[in-house]
Amino acid sequence: MLKMEKFAILLVDDKEEFVSALSNRLLLHGMEVHTATKGEDALAMLQEKATDVVVLDVVMPGMGGLETLRRIKETYPHIQVILLTGHASTKEGIEGMRLGAFDYLMKPVDIEELIAKMKASIKAIAKE
Amino acid sequence: MKASTEDLITARHLAFVGRVTASLSHEIKNTLAIIGESSGLMGDLLDYTAPPAEWAPYPRLKTLLTTIAEQVERSVVILKRLNRFAHSMDEQLVALDLNDLLMEITNLAQRFARLREVGLETRLCSESLKMRSDPFRIQQAVFHFIEVSLKFSPKNTTITVASRRDKGAAQVIITDEAPPRAGWLKKLISTPQLTLAETEEQSDPDLAVLGLIVAKLGWSIEAEDLHPQGNRVIVTFPLENG
Repeated sequence: MLKMEKFAILLVDDKEEFVSALSNRLLLHGMEVHTATKGEDALAMLQEKATDVVVLDVVMPGMGGLETLRRIKETYPHIQVILLTGHASTKEGIEGMRLGAFDYLMKPVDIEELIAKMKASIKAIAKE
Repeated sequence: MKASTEDLITARHLAFVGRVTASLSHEIKNTLAIIGESSGLMGDLLDYTAPPAEWAPYPRLKTLLTTIAEQVERSVVILKRLNRFAHSMDEQLVALDLNDLLMEITNLAQRFARLREVGLETRLCSESLKMRSDPFRIQQAVFHFIEVSLKFSPKNTTITVASRRDKGAAQVIITDEAPPRAGWLKKLISTPQLTLAETEEQSDPDLAVLGLIVAKLGWSIEAEDLHPQGNRVIVTFPLENG
């Protein structure tokens, strides 16, 4: 039921239990998933692992999601970034899109919606 | 209007409560996200590893996981309301749409109405009512009026919160089917200091404080009896482009 074309995902969120559950779900959906719990670790991982889409939490201790996004886009403009925000406000999401994010989703995420967004982001980069 | 020291202290108190509440709601939302993803993963694992036709607990487990997902979704909706309410305390003068605020505060009041077995409906005008004002005070005012209506409304009647544009102003109209009390309302609002000091059964400190707020922020309030039974309170806010 869940198989689809294989994307390489980097999931970045400081909540380990969230990362663990969501990454396992994405694995079951046939994706290649890497994880990081800090912005700095995410940047290091991008140097080592080929990545199509970064799914990035906005609110993290240390290097926040928006700063991590800015640095990702500086070095890897072709990698798509989808932001996750826990706030009812859309302010961070809009700011993220201004910085180059493909889109943003509110937590808790709907897995089908997240996958649809990832597919759309891959399609968008392929068109460029 | 120049804010007094007392006003500034109150504003900072509210901003503090709002900031802490918003932060807590954010933390709870993260916890819900973990619950949601964990139950989602359990569902995925069930689908992958358990042959549904051959494993008796499968349908019950699927039903339980659906219940968890629905409750997570419901909690997220409630938390969004809490978060928005908390942020209404951030600043005292912001650009806002009155209809959005009315929808939010009516949602927050729904539980109180349900407990009293009274219906609570909105009839908001279709145009946006943009203004610069104090979102917390507006919600406080409307909530108190709903509370007073609830206090006097018989079971199975309905309270309606409506809005409309009236020349250069926006109006909120709260209508109920309770016994007439317009005279008492007028007295209470027009003499807030008096009613604050009173201890009679009918005095309502919240409403008396409301009288002070209304006078200070330049809103006006009208109250009228409806026939055969009911009350209508109209709160008028100066409207400007937000």
